[in-house]
Amino acid sequence: MPLVTRNIEPRHVCRQALPNTIRSELECVTNISLANIIRQLGSLSKYAEDLFGELFVQAGAFAIRVNTLGERVDRLQVKVTQLDPKEEEVSLQAITQKKAFHSNLIQDQQLFCRPSLPQPVQETYLTCNPPPPLNNLSQYRDDDKDALKFYTDPSYFFDLWKEKMLQDTKDIMKEKRKHRKEKKDNQNLRTLNPRKIKTRKDEWERRKMGEEFVVPKNDMGYHDGQYGAPTQKRTSLLSPTHPPPAPPMPCSTPTGTRPNLSPPPAPPPPPPSTGFGVPPPPPPSGFDSSPPAPPPITNSAYPSPPAPPPPLSQASLSPPPPPSLPQGGGAPPPPPPPPPPGPPPPCGPPPPGPPPPSFSIGAPPPLKSTQAPSEAPPDAHSDLLSAIRQGFNLRKVEEQKEQEKKDNYGNDVAAILSRRIAVECSDSEDDSSELDDDDWSE
Amino acid sequence: MSGQDDPVQREIHQDWANREYIEVITSSIKKIADFLNSFDMSCRSRLATLNEKLTALERRIEYIEARLVILSETFTRQL
Repeated sequence: MPLVTRNIEPRHVCRQALPNTIRSELECVTNISLANIIRQLGSLSKYAEDLFGELFVQAGAFAIRVNTLGERVDRLQVKVTQLDPKEEEVSLQAITQKKAFHSNLIQDQQLFCRPSLPQPVQETYLTCNPPPPLNNLSQYRDDDKDALKFYTDPSYFFDLWKEKMLQDTKDIMKEKRKHRKEKKDNQNLRTLNPRKIKTRKDEWERRKMGEEFVVPKNDMGYHDGQYGAPTQKRTSLLSPTHPPPAPPMPCSTPTGTRPNLSPPPAPPPPPPSTGFGVPPPPPPSGFDSSPPAPPPITNSAYPSPPAPPPPLSQASLSPPPPPSLPQGGGAPPPPPPPPPPGPPPPCGPPPPGPPPPSFSIGAPPPLKSTQAPSEAPPDAHSDLLSAIRQGFNLRKVEEQKEQEKKDNYGNDVAAILSRRIAVECSDSEDDSSELDDDDWSE
Repeated sequence: MSGQDDPVQREIHQDWANREYIEVITSSIKKIADFLNSFDMSCRSRLATLNEKLTALERRIEYIEARLVILSETFTRQL
């Protein structure tokens, strides 16, 4: 519905009811029209004044800016003439010691808010009825919400967007961590197996017939493995509200050297491939290589599983998952690399280990079911489970605290939000640069 | 008949003349309104381009100032 900024008041010049007691109606109409014309001219001149006023204010602001700019240029000119003949070298120390140039310019925010409404539109707005005073009822509510917000909430969309952005940043952080773990693990596994040299010969051959005929290689694989995923690239705006993937991929990769649980290597492809184009090939190949390597050591390593679990349980208690990961990773190497993921099914039980307990909701129930046929003493497992649950509870409380902190930040967070978007972009750039590295290395 | 018509005719003629007069005035008012709108639009677009140029210049000047500060500091250090 287009809103007119300035409406000239008597819209129809002649449409006015005539009083009954008039003889010469035609003259009456003429006079009435002339009077309305004068009123129209009046409102026109008022709006013209308003218009020119706005333009004048803007032009005045620009004039001030131009003046300051001119002064700065003059000062710079003087400075440059002073410096030039004497000093031309810049010591290397200065370059490294100084912090990088950071622009001070502030970006415009809050452009379309109530105070920035132009005056005529504000007047139009004021002629409307105000919303009903529902806030008088909010004292009777049990939850602490404004009653008026149910009727009309101007900040609704902003809050929605803010939450979405926060969620996106969290997702990105998690994905980054997983990606790093995968990379580390892949690097570890790769050192075990000499990787075959992959050349770009395939690509050149495909291109030789003409660049138009190049069919991207990954299409087939994607259609099979990833039917539901919309895009290959992660776009921060279309947030894949894809819940953190189940235990398989992220937790099992670091525990590739550790006793891994029931989750077989098959599910790994779907979770990481939502965001990353290339990784799906490497991880499964990484997995294929991992079972063959550890099995030879299985027999000697059987007594060891109970040993790693307790240190792992202690590791999982420490709240932030990333530190616990390296700790857990440090624990197993001293004992010989313990038994592997798939092959020995009876060895199913052990620890969900370091996986961020937020993923472990699904994990404990399947764990319980696999515990029945377990060999290891049930005591260690129940301790583990309780420890995991406590860890999970601990993390919930922390999340609440974080949320409270964020609420206290307030809504001048628009700047912080735009920074978060920048972080997202940089994260996606980092990820894409990592992907490019993968492309190059493969 | 002509006696009745004359005053009526005169009135009607007069009315037509008045209406034409009013029409001229209202169409000029519309022209003025059109002119004001287009003037406003063109002014805003020019001011916007000016704004862009100003911001670009301001950024460049900030950068140059920062470079000069470094240079002058190294100079004073060497002194």
